[in-house]
Amino acid sequence: MSMGSTLVSDHKTIATGVWHPPHSSREVPARLVDIGGSLIVVSIEEGEEDRRLVWGIRSDIEISPRVGSIPRRIVFGNESLFETRDNDAIDTYLRGRGEGRSGLIHGLEIVRPRLIGFALAVVVLASVIYRYALPALVEVAVLVTPPVVPEMMSAGTLKTLDQVTFGPSKLPEAEQTAIRDDFARIAVNAQGGASRYHLNFRDGGLIGPNAFALPDGNLVLTDQLVALAGSDKEMITAVLGHEIGHVEYKHSLRQLYTAAGVAGLVLLIAGDVGSGVQDILTQGGGLLALSYSRQAEAQADRRSVELMLTAGKDPAALSRFFDLLETKLDDNGKTSMLSTHPGTPERKQAILDYVRELRAKGDQPSG
Amino acid sequence: MAAIEQDYPADGSRFFQRASFTGNASEYFGIWIVNILLTIVTLGIYSAWAKVRRNRYFYGNTVLLDHSFEYHAKGKQILIGRLIVFGFLVVVNILSHLAPLALLAIWPIMLVIFPWFLMRGLRFNARVTSYRNVRFDFVGTYGGAFKAIFLGALVTVVSVGLLSPIASRWLYKYIFDNLRYGDRPFATEPRLGALYEAFITAIAIMLAAVVVLGLLSVVMIGFRSNSMGPGMGSISLWHWMIVLIFPIYILTGLYYHAAVRNIIWSAATVDRRHQLRSDLGRRRYAWIAISNVIVTLVTFGLMRPWAAVRMQRFLTEHTAIHVDGEIGVVFDQIRSTGSAISAEYLDVDGFDFGF
Repeated sequence: MSMGSTLVSDHKTIATGVWHPPHSSREVPARLVDIGGSLIVVSIEEGEEDRRLVWGIRSDIEISPRVGSIPRRIVFGNESLFETRDNDAIDTYLRGRGEGRSGLIHGLEIVRPRLIGFALAVVVLASVIYRYALPALVEVAVLVTPPVVPEMMSAGTLKTLDQVTFGPSKLPEAEQTAIRDDFARIAVNAQGGASRYHLNFRDGGLIGPNAFALPDGNLVLTDQLVALAGSDKEMITAVLGHEIGHVEYKHSLRQLYTAAGVAGLVLLIAGDVGSGVQDILTQGGGLLALSYSRQAEAQADRRSVELMLTAGKDPAALSRFFDLLETKLDDNGKTSMLSTHPGTPERKQAILDYVRELRAKGDQPSG
Repeated sequence: MAAIEQDYPADGSRFFQRASFTGNASEYFGIWIVNILLTIVTLGIYSAWAKVRRNRYFYGNTVLLDHSFEYHAKGKQILIGRLIVFGFLVVVNILSHLAPLALLAIWPIMLVIFPWFLMRGLRFNARVTSYRNVRFDFVGTYGGAFKAIFLGALVTVVSVGLLSPIASRWLYKYIFDNLRYGDRPFATEPRLGALYEAFITAIAIMLAAVVVLGLLSVVMIGFRSNSMGPGMGSISLWHWMIVLIFPIYILTGLYYHAAVRNIIWSAATVDRRHQLRSDLGRRRYAWIAISNVIVTLVTFGLMRPWAAVRMQRFLTEHTAIHVDGEIGVVFDQIRSTGSAISAEYLDVDGFDFGF
């Protein structure tokens, strides 16, 4: 097929440029000639005219894909190089051979009105990815993660904390049992039932007053938090309800995948946005993680309210805990707890609002 | 114009020829937007090929003595390198959750491996760059990288930063002295005094800014306590101080960066004869860098091609070479584009020393 077209234009010069011998910077002014399917490079240097420099068939020759208007490289089998700035001529030659597809990407890149369409498509796709695809991917990742992963994560974390800071709980046995009983009463109504959640008592050490949930359902309560709560045991139960919420919604896995996803996206386009903007995007990813964390806290707060209400306890007990944090811990200047559970007035208000909402809903059918 | 030469380099006025950049923002915009679009559509896989096209565009439009550079890396190569790095990060991340203490043990290993990564990254980037059909090469060893990074970091930390110009001199000497253009060596002999001058200037700007801001805040606190009484005012003032110091820190960093580039490049030679030179205006460099980021952000990234071309043009046009005699015919030893380079799968970004 290609033979037919080349026979007509026998010994046709495709383009002029320079020729380099293999691995050498020496250069010879030359032209590229098409002789019936194979290519030769012929010197056009004064006194050396028409000297044949190299010959090759198309399959042994590599023609670099076009990028903008940078010089085109035609590399022969012996690694000698013909270089020309006449990109259009090379494109015409390739099209004549039915190899037009090699210029597909360049065709898209040429400045035309449709680039505006591309720009719009990028903006739309980027926001779709950010708003929907990333959260969807996170959901999929959470779904396909086998339960053994959170179990191993949790075991590792608890072991490390035990080694680094925790000590055995000094809480009297009776007090532990009382807390455990209250905890069992709310955990019964949680996803997976009471057996899914296991309450651990520890001496907090460096960590101090804290309660946290590991993704496998292990909850840790430190002696210092129990001491902080004093006589208000309902408050402790409410905090544990909040932690159950974190386990149910798989917040730690979600957070991990979201952070990884954002970091991955930033890395992928890093080279295309420049280092300054990349830094800003990375910081933005951090802010995003913070906002996600705040959402997760609010979600867990609501879960605590629900669990307390179902168990017939005071659903607003959690808000009392925030009161305590504000008065006791702020005075002491300890903010370690505040950073994980920011005790803001809005948060207390949200809890009280949710309690009212749930109560109203519960009253309607019965009364 | 390459023929104009001066054979008496001793008397100062050498003839330097500037490099030039022939790319333009609108042409690059097309390449850039298609890169991003295809990267999104292919779920990130195209980004490796996008990098190749981007680099080919910038290298191919960087012209020195009427010849442009060329970037030879293949998309597949970069993709594999990225997959390796990605896999490594995933493993480290999983490990950090399974056994956080084990990660502490990994850090020393990572530190030991890092110079190797740096060395291989420099070599990869050198070997995929060519000029006039001759490839660059990097012959630095692991030991050299180790010295440049760790001894440098150690010296910097021990001296509370005072010896950091010595450390950066080691690093740049490692990079330049091991760079080859074909069979011709690069070398740089930056004067330590010049590096210290740049360093001290940067520190002085920082200190002056802190003193001015400090005085300003004292005045403000005085003012506030008169009108509103002490309390939260001082905290928010501290907050403002930090917010104001941050841009000054960036500005100083840019000043220092431009000064160091000028010093290192102007002390560099190719083949022990041909002198390189860099004459970036420090203020102009800082202005371009900062305004680029602002313009890019304000236009939601759409002006990024313009910004990238603008910076590249500035850097290129302030880089020059004095050719001493004839460059002559240069040969490279990298025999096959296939085997020799396909072994170098590791693509480590961050160090760029093409013109």
